[in-house]
Amino acid sequence: MACKDSGSDRFEYLQNLVTEFQDTDCDEAKEQVLANLANFAYDPRNMGDLRRLQVTELFLDMLTEENENFVEFGIGGLCNMSMERESRDEILCSGGVDLVKNCLSSRRDETVLSAITTLMNLTTANSRSQTTDAAVVQCMVRLSLSENSRMRNLATMYLEDYCPEEQVKRAREESQVQCQTALGIPLPKD
Amino acid sequence: MATSMQVSVWDTPKVYKHHEQRPVCHTRPKYRDGRRPKAVKVYTINLESRYLLVQGVQAIGVMTELVQLLALYGAIEEYRVLDEYPAEEFTEVYLFKFQKLTSARAAKRNTDEKSFYGGLLHVCYAPEYETVEDTRQKLQDRRRYVNRVAQSKEKAYEPKSEERTSRTTRPWDTCEEHIPENVPKGKSSTYRDNYQGFPLLPSPPQEKLFCQPSYSGQLQQGSTLPAEDKMGSLHHYVDPTKDPKLQTAMIQRDREKNSRVTRDTTSHARFVPRPALLDSRKRKAEETISQSSRVNSDEGGCVIGPQLPEKPKMDLEDASLNITANIIRSTMEKIASVPEPKPPVATAKPRRRI
Repeated sequence: MACKDSGSDRFEYLQNLVTEFQDTDCDEAKEQVLANLANFAYDPRNMGDLRRLQVTELFLDMLTEENENFVEFGIGGLCNMSMERESRDEILCSGGVDLVKNCLSSRRDETVLSAITTLMNLTTANSRSQTTDAAVVQCMVRLSLSENSRMRNLATMYLEDYCPEEQVKRAREESQVQCQTALGIPLPKD
Repeated sequence: MATSMQVSVWDTPKVYKHHEQRPVCHTRPKYRDGRRPKAVKVYTINLESRYLLVQGVQAIGVMTELVQLLALYGAIEEYRVLDEYPAEEFTEVYLFKFQKLTSARAAKRNTDEKSFYGGLLHVCYAPEYETVEDTRQKLQDRRRYVNRVAQSKEKAYEPKSEERTSRTTRPWDTCEEHIPENVPKGKSSTYRDNYQGFPLLPSPPQEKLFCQPSYSGQLQQGSTLPAEDKMGSLHHYVDPTKDPKLQTAMIQRDREKNSRVTRDTTSHARFVPRPALLDSRKRKAEETISQSSRVNSDEGGCVIGPQLPEKPKMDLEDASLNITANIIRSTMEKIASVPEPKPPVATAKPRRRI
């Protein structure tokens, strides 16, 4: 047992998870597997395997689902995976920024928090214009006033570390006058 | 504005959703049902924190005991009782701030849902007590760690761990998933205990270290202990068991070493009180002098002439049996080399006056 090559075992296991996710029609099972995969993405040793199984795509697909659990788990997985450079580049290549930005409008705090962290991770010299456009900066300005201290911390950090100062200043002034974009404002419950 | 955001770390607490225990999931198929009952939940770095909230502490004045318990897992920077936090009757809630995230992680894993003076502890992360700087540091550390591990994984295919302590306390362990750990616990304890501060933690991942049972004992105690980096991890450490060249070189070196040095060298691998250590050294020195004419390799005295090839260790034809045998062997060796405590010199006790 101890000598078994756990690497290939792990890959097989992850592959089984992905297969089950694709085959099952049961939402509950899907949620469980998705959470499983997202948690596996927390361990950097699994990144290679998860990328090979195109789990980044799977997570990105979840962001447009109606089921809020799917969205929360999907963005959680992306938050975990985007910490690593190669996965980050994959997400950027698949046009993930816009999908992640949409998560800022979620009603769930956990989803928004994961989205902020993911956006931080996705910010590179090339993608900066996308991840710190006016709408995002405004959204962060609003979130930095949130009552939730975790939200406030992350948004403040985003403004301080990722956004150009003048832009933040402008966004703050604008937000006092009027709300220009609706990004980050949760939709009302139906 | 800045002041309004810099709300004190020790402000009036609120009950957040992530403090609550989610219902355990019972509908998983067997292949992905872990050993511990877990809820369906995704862990991200946002949920983790150096701050831990400990609920369910019986209000019977056991703060010292609680602090002692948690200090087992790493240095605590601050702690206090949260009087304002809504607690169950006759219980208290405490907030702990660890120096390191990994310590908090280990503490949470090992104390959550454990009974403590008649109560059941509920331990959870409390990231809402972080400052912006705490959060920044946490994310930076995480990013650095992930990339280092991912890179070194590509370079050398070897098991790694974040500050080693964290291996068994990864978030997916504590919440969702459990990968079977085929690493025997006792094996690595000597190896680990000396190189990190927390002797009570479970084993780090050494999935492949034990593939060479015959020499692993030496590898552990020899001079080739991996150099740790600042985070206490071994990412750049090439596992010698996987490099045949390195391995033979090491065996060679170990043999040379064994012939030169007495067994005492192994004693750094366990805790021996200083006086006892000095005593044993002195005694050994005396022994060496008295036996210097004889070759006595058993006693670890000085050896003259080339050493015979090491006695091959018995192969039990089963990896786990071999590991067990190795553990027993090394334990026996350790016990054998522990100096017997000298009987205390009996001094006449002055009679106590009544």
